[in-house]
Amino acid sequence: MTLVPPPFDPELAGALELIKEVISPGMTLEDIEQIRQGPGIQMLAELDLTLDGFFKAEDRVVPGPQGAPDISLLICRPTVPSAAGPRPVVYHVHGGGMVLGTNRVGVDVALAWAKELDAVVVSVEYRLAPEDPYPAQIEDVYAGLVWTAEHAGELGVDPERIVLAGASAGGGLCAALALLTRDRQGPRPIGQVLMCPMLDDRNDTPSSRQMAGLGVWDRTANETGWTALLGDRRGGPDVPAYAAPARAEDLTGLPPAFLDVGSAETFRDEVVAYASRIWQAGGIAELHVWPGGFHGFDGFAPQAALSQRTRAAHLDWLRRLLDA
Amino acid sequence: MKELAGRLTALDPDAGAAVQVIAYFDRLAESRAGLEALVRGAAVLAGVPARLVDADRRVRVRVEADGTRRDSDLPPDAAWPSAALAPGGVPALWLERAAEPSVVDAVILERAAGAVRLVLDRTRGRAPVDDPALVETLLDATAPEPARLHAARRLGLDPAAPARAVAAADGLPRIVPEPLGAELPAGRLGLGPAVPVLDLPRSWAAARTALRFTAEGTAQDPGQRVVYADELGGTALLADLVVPGAEPPPDVVALESAAAATPWLLVTLHAVASTASLRAAAVEINVHHSTLQDRLVHAEHVLGWPVRTPQGRFRLQLALTMRHLARS
Repeated sequence: MTLVPPPFDPELAGALELIKEVISPGMTLEDIEQIRQGPGIQMLAELDLTLDGFFKAEDRVVPGPQGAPDISLLICRPTVPSAAGPRPVVYHVHGGGMVLGTNRVGVDVALAWAKELDAVVVSVEYRLAPEDPYPAQIEDVYAGLVWTAEHAGELGVDPERIVLAGASAGGGLCAALALLTRDRQGPRPIGQVLMCPMLDDRNDTPSSRQMAGLGVWDRTANETGWTALLGDRRGGPDVPAYAAPARAEDLTGLPPAFLDVGSAETFRDEVVAYASRIWQAGGIAELHVWPGGFHGFDGFAPQAALSQRTRAAHLDWLRRLLDA
Repeated sequence: MKELAGRLTALDPDAGAAVQVIAYFDRLAESRAGLEALVRGAAVLAGVPARLVDADRRVRVRVEADGTRRDSDLPPDAAWPSAALAPGGVPALWLERAAEPSVVDAVILERAAGAVRLVLDRTRGRAPVDDPALVETLLDATAPEPARLHAARRLGLDPAAPARAVAAADGLPRIVPEPLGAELPAGRLGLGPAVPVLDLPRSWAAARTALRFTAEGTAQDPGQRVVYADELGGTALLADLVVPGAEPPPDVVALESAAAATPWLLVTLHAVASTASLRAAAVEINVHHSTLQDRLVHAEHVLGWPVRTPQGRFRLQLALTMRHLARS
């Protein structure tokens, strides 16, 4: 089969040209420490979490999983009292290939939704691989969700209206969290927004081969991330679904999912396959494949026409979910 | 993208950002981005709204700094930094910035304008006045049909849609699509009938005839600046009778010598010949009705024929028209 990749959308190709000095697609284990110290994180420190005073932001330390350290939740609540009772929650899980990032990464997207939807954002901090391999991440994320549901009254939110949302590794963790909380009979989120989610440790789809060396997260970087998380188990026979949701055999009983992915990225085929399997299991999913999109394009180039359409689609789906 | 561009600008206000801007637009051009993407690129990189207005091709795009398209009918401010699509052309791309443009602004404008021009040439065809050789081919009845159709496509004309040939006093032939949308060039113009593109040589012949009936529209040369061949009717026959540059007919000679002695004469006579009544003519040239009567008495005396009878007025109209036709 051909390895000719689909072309990037012209505006996104231009944006890649701007960011290629800062981000290269093929991260290795040796690069992780340097990237953690790099300009990406520095830019996040300047993020206005209050959106010009609309939200009040606080960092809350809450108990982590049994026998593990506490975790930090970034909680952003509208400063105006709610007129319509408890608010919905966007439970946000950040991206970064399982090895990078903080609960600030990508939270601006969730905050923008919350402003439109009058919701609260809870963004969870989780331990990173390779220092802390699987299952540290999913267990931290689960502990944060349980705390949020149990403290709904204190936060002024409705525990019956929690939406899981994350991009990239955060999307993968949200998908895993939906499986885990279903199986443990934990909190019941009403939806999951999986943006270009990282779902499959096997890393051997046609899209992952086609896009090698291109964009911002290629097959090499993906292998680095999964290996950091799973070590020798990566790609082998006994990877649990709570690590790599693509491994799940049972996709029944999950909350409605919104999935999207670029056509020109490593994760295209695994995301399309995951959506298909949700439908095959009788579930509800909305899938968008954005033509010419690279991994995380709407975050890197929010002004591009395709990014504007992508973000409108997120908000549109959330509106339908929460108004229903 | 904006954040990143902003960061790079902060690191090196001129050189670093300029290189990024060049790379960005080169990449857009390479991946065949559309007009809106190019204008958006200019807006996002400059951090202010950008707009493109190409009157000839009826293109109007405005994008705000956050990437949203929001067109405007208001004219651009002449103080904004701008760029033409071609060297020496009129401004077509603007950055809506009140302050002095920076070096980076200049690079953005130059690169974006170049890329916009390529897209316009590719998608809308060259501007009608752009390529005289193509226009000439299209107007040449002896050129083979495929060559004329090819020229039409290169000029951005739909071979199935009608167009008009335009003859101008500057001698440069033009072709405009029908219905007319773009502004016509300044100066005296003769417009041929709207025809299928393969009939444009016929339209061109008529346009050149129509041009001979035009005037500058000034006091020394009153008359219509733009004449449509369609509207000439039988008057067009005069064009064959009056040879430009040859000895003019006697009535034209009389008109010229009278005009040389009396500055108001041509304007006054043109008003009388082209309005429905003497009262309207007086209003037209902004004189009192009795003043007009006095002037006409004088005019009839120097010309030697009445201008207030129907026959005399017809003779006057003919003389004024032949005067235009007689010019070389």
